[in-house]
Amino acid sequence: MIVLTPLRKFQFPVMAECISPDVFQGKSRDEIASLTVYEGNRRKKLGNLFKIEKESAENLKITIKGDVNEVRRIGSGMKSGEIMVFGNVGMHLGHKMEGGKITVHGDVDGWAGSEMKGGLIEIQGNAGNYLASPYRGSSVGMRGGRIVVSGNIGTDSGASMQKGVIKIHGKAGHFLGFRMRGGVIHVEKDVGDRAGACMTGGKIVVSGSLESILPTFTIDKMKPKVKIDQNEKVTGPFYVFLGDRSENGKGKLFASKAANPHLSSFEKLL
Amino acid sequence: MTIVKSVTCPVCGCLCDDIELVVEDGKVEEVKNGCAICESKFIGYRGEHRVLKPKIRQNGKLVDTTLQEAVKKSAEILANANYPILYGWSSTSCEAQRVGVELAEEVGGVLDNTAVVCHGPSILGIQEVGIPSCTLGQVRHRADLVIYWGCDPWSAHPRHVERYTTFAEGRFEGSEWKGYLQKFKAAAGRKKIKRVMKQAPVKNPPSIEPVTPSEPPQKMKKDGRKLIVVDVRRTMTAEVADYFIQVEPNKDYELMEALRALVRDQELDVNSVAGISVECLEELVDIMIGCNFGIIFFGLGLTMSAGKFRNIDVAISLTRDLNMRTKFAIMPMRGHFNVTGSNTVFTWQTGYPFGVDFSLGYPRYNPGETTSVDVLLRRESDAALVIASDPVANFPKKAVQHLVKNPLIVIDPHMNATSLMADVVFPSAFVGIEVGGTAYRMDHVPLPLKKVVDPPEGVLSDKEILNRILEETRKIKLKQVEAA
Amino acid sequence: MELLIKNGFVFDPINGINSEKMDIAIKNGKIVDSIQEKNAKVIDASGLTVMPGGVDIHSHIAGGEVNAGRLLRPEDHVKDVERKTAITRSGVGYSIPSTFTTGYRYSRMGYTTIMNPSMSPLEAKHTHEELSDIPMVDKASYPLLGDWWFVLEYLQKGDLEECARHIAWMMETVKGYAIKIVNPGGLESWGFGRNVHSIDDRVPGFDVTPREIICGLCKVNKMLNLPHTIHLHTNNLGVPGNYATTLETMKCLEDLAGDDKPVAHITHLQFSSYKGRDWRTMKSGAEEIANYVNNHSHLTMDMGQVIFTDTTTMTADGPFQFNLYNLTGHKWVNHDVETETSGGIVPFRYRRKNVVNATQWSIGLELALLIKDPWKIFLTTDHPNGGPFTAYPKIIAWLISKKARMATLKRTHPKAIKRSILSSIDREMSLYEIAVVTRGGTSKALGLKHKGHLGVGADGDVAIYDLNPESIDLPTDYKVVRKAFSRAKYTIKGGQVLVKDGEVLQEMYGKTMWLNVETDEPCRIPEEMKTKFRDYWTVEFDNYPVSDHYLRSQSPITVKASI
Ligand code: SF4
Ligand SMILES: [Zn+2]
Repeated sequence: MIVLTPLRKFQFPVMAECISPDVFQGKSRDEIASLTVYEGNRRKKLGNLFKIEKESAENLKITIKGDVNEVRRIGSGMKSGEIMVFGNVGMHLGHKMEGGKITVHGDVDGWAGSEMKGGLIEIQGNAGNYLASPYRGSSVGMRGGRIVVSGNIGTDSGASMQKGVIKIHGKAGHFLGFRMRGGVIHVEKDVGDRAGACMTGGKIVVSGSLESILPTFTIDKMKPKVKIDQNEKVTGPFYVFLGDRSENGKGKLFASKAANPHLSSFEKLL
Repeated sequence: MTIVKSVTCPVCGCLCDDIELVVEDGKVEEVKNGCAICESKFIGYRGEHRVLKPKIRQNGKLVDTTLQEAVKKSAEILANANYPILYGWSSTSCEAQRVGVELAEEVGGVLDNTAVVCHGPSILGIQEVGIPSCTLGQVRHRADLVIYWGCDPWSAHPRHVERYTTFAEGRFEGSEWKGYLQKFKAAAGRKKIKRVMKQAPVKNPPSIEPVTPSEPPQKMKKDGRKLIVVDVRRTMTAEVADYFIQVEPNKDYELMEALRALVRDQELDVNSVAGISVECLEELVDIMIGCNFGIIFFGLGLTMSAGKFRNIDVAISLTRDLNMRTKFAIMPMRGHFNVTGSNTVFTWQTGYPFGVDFSLGYPRYNPGETTSVDVLLRRESDAALVIASDPVANFPKKAVQHLVKNPLIVIDPHMNATSLMADVVFPSAFVGIEVGGTAYRMDHVPLPLKKVVDPPEGVLSDKEILNRILEETRKIKLKQVEAA
Repeated sequence: MELLIKNGFVFDPINGINSEKMDIAIKNGKIVDSIQEKNAKVIDASGLTVMPGGVDIHSHIAGGEVNAGRLLRPEDHVKDVERKTAITRSGVGYSIPSTFTTGYRYSRMGYTTIMNPSMSPLEAKHTHEELSDIPMVDKASYPLLGDWWFVLEYLQKGDLEECARHIAWMMETVKGYAIKIVNPGGLESWGFGRNVHSIDDRVPGFDVTPREIICGLCKVNKMLNLPHTIHLHTNNLGVPGNYATTLETMKCLEDLAGDDKPVAHITHLQFSSYKGRDWRTMKSGAEEIANYVNNHSHLTMDMGQVIFTDTTTMTADGPFQFNLYNLTGHKWVNHDVETETSGGIVPFRYRRKNVVNATQWSIGLELALLIKDPWKIFLTTDHPNGGPFTAYPKIIAWLISKKARMATLKRTHPKAIKRSILSSIDREMSLYEIAVVTRGGTSKALGLKHKGHLGVGADGDVAIYDLNPESIDLPTDYKVVRKAFSRAKYTIKGGQVLVKDGEVLQEMYGKTMWLNVETDEPCRIPEEMKTKFRDYWTVEFDNYPVSDHYLRSQSPITVKASI
């Protein structure tokens, strides 16, 4: 196991895609310490920024102790192993992740799990905007794997999602699941405006209240329960909406009946 | 006395290039063809308090210094910075912007322009879905339906309607100015009355404006060009429109989505959207589909209302859908005269239009991460160069706090709020008046800017100042490399 | 500076030199007979292949359209970046590289002259600003003139002379090099969302047909004695069954070929050679086209080869791009330019496992191989439409090696093999023929007297590749060939070594070439123009021309017109 402790608080963005079990694998402490990172516009070595301790022979587990808010791209492209962070993490955590596990005991910044294909990201705190969403101009969203957030998430999350599961125990901001094509997003608490805009497939399940529903969604039926994945079903009852009709879409938006009395007017259309 | 013709107006994105100036004794004495804003720029700029010498902060005070000193100090600031911001660019020439990119690259900084606080969302929207658009002349010659959405050209782009759209004379469509002129006058009169009423201590002034029509008026069935305005409030442009649609604040997204569904012949479950009845929307969709060439111009009312770049995404998507039924285009109403130019220059040199981060030695782009406001809000930068803009007046307070906390260089013809907080200030020549160059109109048509009078002695152009800073920075960087 | 390239195997098709071991001497930027070795920098080229610098006849590298493509595709750039070095500027690729990167990448492949084939006159300043920011190569641009209202109006009147004078004025005004015609009549129709579907359709609002535009401008081109022919993107491009339109277009130009010289260049021919009724039945029409071309001598062409990759399509052909958008549902940019032209952009991924894409890939190669005379058809991808120019070495490998072609063909959609006759073609090009299709032939077709060859007086533009023609067997060692052409051993421009071993040694800005066409009668155009200008455009007459300010370094070519 490798333990990284930041030597100071970073002011400038630190690009550290090298912090990944696949990269550390088979390297000595010194080799790890001399991996390249950028701090602002200066090229540095990982050892310049972190105290690096090697606690066992294998490097498949990485522990980061302390806040690394400015450190970006941790676990980028990771395929196996585990990263544990005790503190807050910067952007692009687990970007293009394919396997393994990342656990954060703290908050994460934007674009966590972007272009993710597999593996598990668990966030004990809150997540920023664009969770599991593509970068500018791209339509490559989450294509597999699982993201679990105990707290709240920001806006524009799960855009262009194709596959996989995102589970949020807290609240979600607006434009959840924009242009979603597949996969499942489950939010236990409240969800902001325009959830499911332009979605053509997949499921968004809202157990809390849904701020509003787009006029281009149409009520389909009521359902007592909905399946999230192999192991989990959540109980409603739920209003089931289909949309987004502006894209001739066939996505499903589930909204809890109990938490959404303002949607009861749709019942008469059933 | 000399008359200079075909001058390009360096004010707004309309970039009218038919301005005639009468110049006497090195001063612009008369402006022809321009609108009021244009006139006040060419004549009024002289009245401003003009700083003629570079300034530098010493013991907390800005004091005059030499050009060499100011250049040296700036170069030191930039060369030693770990994450500098180079911001502004929208009101200077492409020639200066080209040097700016080189400087940003040299110092590994974040290069950003004012789009970040105006039409940045439009660009993000375009990057999601593209944009069916055209040059303004195409609108003038062909458009029989013009929609202004969330913008008020009457006040912000005064000659837009007259030169490029409804009032312009085109090959296939004529001008509608005669019919509208009456309305303009009447509307102006009403506004005036309203203003007077407001000032007068009368309680509950009588309503003088009709409310939003619930269905399109008869004149939408007329021949010739039609003008529709969609906005949250009744703007001056709305007053003259054939049809004004008042959208509930922050509900543009819903409205556009509903229109899209209707264009695709889908049924809606609701009776009204954004405060407008579905029947009314259906009529609107019929008008849109029925035109030969339609265009939507949109402004900050759309880019800055809730939804931001998703609003543009949906507006463009609506335009895309409409192209299945007829010919339709869409265009952002860009504000500063050369904001389009700076997006253009940045893009050809770096691949990206704004928010370009050179810290890794190559261009990187991720608005939200690499955009100046976000960098400042996260307090990451350690220096800044601001050119031809005034972020202290426009940025969120927290961003400003971080901006002024670190070394700050300002290049601007004016002394503005930002330069007052700066550590180095360069007065520069007015682009398009005292120095020539190139600017890009809102539809990407490049136009030459003219030098019509000389700048005050010793005052250099943005391009020259940047070149000197770049040269000096290179020297310092070279020394740093040698030392390492 | 003097430079002596010793002992290389020289391929200089224009001068008939085929793999001869000889020295090339350069003095003051030009090829000379000989120089004194002791005064010169010497490059030992023994065991290496020496060719004139590459000349690309059709590659979209600059201008409004290209830049709109760049802006549209941040996701294309992130996967391919170029770091700043002590010598070079930073930039991005992939399919639409930023300007500096474009120059370096061409130079690394041994190219020294690039023709930017599409420029809307109104936005010509933009094109030239970008061209000025493309280092390492000489360049020129073709203004889009086929749907310009003045052309349509004068052709309608039948006044060819006046039309010619306007074109001459335009060349000088926007600093252009050749007459570019794109989907003639279709672009004007697209102004109201329509298109033309045959060369005899009427253009709405104007009493002319595409046939009249093509023939008219071809005659005008002759009257003006322009160095290149008209440069034509045919009607119905990218539509199944369009090979018939292409043949008709070729036929309608037959009569205009007086002497044996070509009168038109049909560009990215691959996109115009489809048989079939629709995309389901689409197959190759290359054989028919090649048969025709083999029996006629009035045309030159370029391939428009497709590469299996993610790229960005961009043409002035608005209606074609719209159809492509309908087909794919991708992002779509449309940009119509008042009184002149239109344009569109759609990102596109050509897939091996898509039968249509695989057939398109076959057609490009079929055309290049079935057309017997390499002086007629040149290597292009219509960058970035068929794929980025950086794929040229791959195409070279396919052209010289059946093994290479079959290796790729086998990995494509199984049905594709039956939709073309590519698998039955045994022809394998020689290095000499490669030199024709990448420099000699293009330069000749363009009428560039000082480019594309190594005769005395030519520009000192030379490419040296790490290939020993004596020891290599091209068809089997195609991978070696591919590598050699992607990283030039040396690229020399104007006698300066710019690239060594695929690395840029120095940055240098080439010249922009343009035509200064002199007509007999003093030009009355400006007067007439001035009166009409405000009616036609939304800019002032004085602000329309591309002044010298927009060209970093220029090389005007004076042409004497016969009017
Ligand atoms: S509309 Fe804009 S560009 Fe035109 S004159 Fe007025 S301020 Fe200048
Ligand atoms: Zn082309």
